[in-house]
Amino acid sequence: MTKPKPFDLVRDLLDHELVDVDHVPCGRVDDIELELTPQGLSISALLVGPGAWSPRLPALARMIARAMFGRERVRVPIDEVIDIGDVVQLRSRATQMGLGILDRRVGRWLSRIPHA
Amino acid sequence: MKFGEIFLGVLTAMGGFVEIGELTFTLNAGQQFDWALLWVVPLGTVGIMVYCEMAGRVAAVRGRPVFALVRERTGFNSALLTLLASLAVNLLTCAAEIGGVALLLQLLLGSPYRLLILVTFAMLVLVVWFVSFKWIERIFGLGGLLLIVFLVAAVYFGPDWTHVAQGLLPHVPRDAGARETLLYFFYAVALLSSIMLPYETYFYASGGIEDEWKPADVGLNRFVVLVGFALGGLLSASLVGVGTEYFAPNEIQPQSPGAAALGIAHVFGPIGLLLALGGMFFAFGGAAIETALSSAYNLAQFAGWPWGKHLRRRHAGRFTLSWLATFALAAVVALSGVNPISIVEYSIVFSVVILPFTYFPVLAVASDRTIMGKHANGPLANALGWFYLVLITGAGIAALPLLFLTHGGRG
Repeated sequence: MTKPKPFDLVRDLLDHELVDVDHVPCGRVDDIELELTPQGLSISALLVGPGAWSPRLPALARMIARAMFGRERVRVPIDEVIDIGDVVQLRSRATQMGLGILDRRVGRWLSRIPHA
Repeated sequence: MKFGEIFLGVLTAMGGFVEIGELTFTLNAGQQFDWALLWVVPLGTVGIMVYCEMAGRVAAVRGRPVFALVRERTGFNSALLTLLASLAVNLLTCAAEIGGVALLLQLLLGSPYRLLILVTFAMLVLVVWFVSFKWIERIFGLGGLLLIVFLVAAVYFGPDWTHVAQGLLPHVPRDAGARETLLYFFYAVALLSSIMLPYETYFYASGGIEDEWKPADVGLNRFVVLVGFALGGLLSASLVGVGTEYFAPNEIQPQSPGAAALGIAHVFGPIGLLLALGGMFFAFGGAAIETALSSAYNLAQFAGWPWGKHLRRRHAGRFTLSWLATFALAAVVALSGVNPISIVEYSIVFSVVILPFTYFPVLAVASDRTIMGKHANGPLANALGWFYLVLITGAGIAALPLLFLTHGGRG
C-alpha cells in the first residue's frame, strides 16, 4: 500500500486562490479555521477578507490595515470545497457565499460607461 | 506558429529596455564610460530571458501568473511588501512615461507641458479601454521598433570594434579614481536593474494568460522570449554605442528625450529625428500601459479578484479600477512638475531590491517537477536561475548604498 501524500496546510492551502462554481476568482484563503474533534484536528472553514488576513500582520501594520479595510471576513465552510489543487474550487456561486461583493458593486458602476 | 505572439515579447522588452529612464540612463552610461559598461547589457538580457521564459512557461503549463506564485510561495507578509514596492515602482515608472510622452508631444506641437500630460493620460486610458490586448501588443510593439534607428546610427558612427569587444568583459576603466569607480558600479547595478525590471515578468506572464497560452505553447514562449528580448538587448547596446560615439565626443549629457534624439538627427536629418521621436512615443506609451496593467494584474492576483483585459469591465470591476487609478495617480505625479527622468532613475534602483522576491517564487515553481511535470526546469535553466538569483540579490544589497554614495548617480 502506498503511503498517502502528506498535505501541507501552509504550502497547499493557505493563500491559495478560491474559484466559485463558474471558475470565477473570488478571493484567497486568508486564514484557516481548525476544530478539535474526537478524531483529531480538522479544518472546519476557510476565512477570507481583511478580518482574516490582518491578524497575520505585525502590530502596527495590523492597526493601519484595520483602520483602512475594516475587520470584515467571510467564513467558507469546508463542505463548500470540492477540490484543492492550484486553486481551491468551491461548489457554490461566489454571491451565495458573500464573496466578491465589492467587485460586483464596482462592476455595476462601471457598466454605466459605454463599452464596459 | 502563432507569429503575432512575438509582439508580446517585443512590447514587454520595449517597455523594459527602452522606456524613458533606461533610454537616457543607457545613453549616459555610454557618454560617461564609453563601451566599458556594455557587458551589463548581455548579462541582464540573458537574466530577463531566463526569468520571463520560466514565468511564461508556468503561465502556459499551469495558467498561474507571477503574483499568484509570489503570494503562495513567500507567504502573506512578504508578498504584501513585494506588492507595495512593485506598485510604487509601477506608479513612478508610469508617471515618468506619461511625462516622457508629454515631452515628445511638446517637441512636436509646442503646447504647454501640463496640458499635454492630460492629453497623454486621456489617450492612454482610451487606448486601454477600447483596444484589445492583442492590438495593444501589435501597435506599441511594432511602433517601438522605429527605435532600430538607434542601432543603425550606432553602426553608422563606425565604432572601434576592438573597444566594443573589450566592453563585453567587466572591467573598471583605467585611471578611475574612487569616485569614478563607485559611479561605475552604480551605473552597472542600475543598468542591470533597468534591464531586469520586475514589471516585465509580471506583464509578460499575465500577457501569456491573456493570450490563452496552453502547454503546447511552451516552444512559442521560448521563441517569443528569445526574439523579443534579444531585440531589446540589441537596442540597449546600441544606446550605449550612441552615447559613446556621439554624446561623449560632443560633451553632451542626454537628459531628455529631445536631447537623446539629437544624435540621430545629426546623422539622418529630419527623417531620422522623426523616426527616433516616433519610436520613443510608442516605447514610452507602451511602458506606461505595461506598468499600469502590471499594477492591476499584481493587485488582482494578490487578492484573488477576476482579472484580464479579455474580460468585460463589468466582470472585472476592481481590476479595471486599478489600472484606471494607476494612470490617474501617475498623471497627478507627472503634473506635480517633477522631472520624469529623475523619478524613473530612482524607481530603477529600488526595483532591484524587490527583484529577488519576485524571481524566487517563479524559480521555485518552474523547477518543481510535481507541479510542472515534464515542463519543469532542466539543469541549465536551474543553474541560470540560481546564478541570477544570487546576482540580483547581491545587486539589491549594493543598490541603496551605491545610490547614496554617488548622490543618485551624480558622482
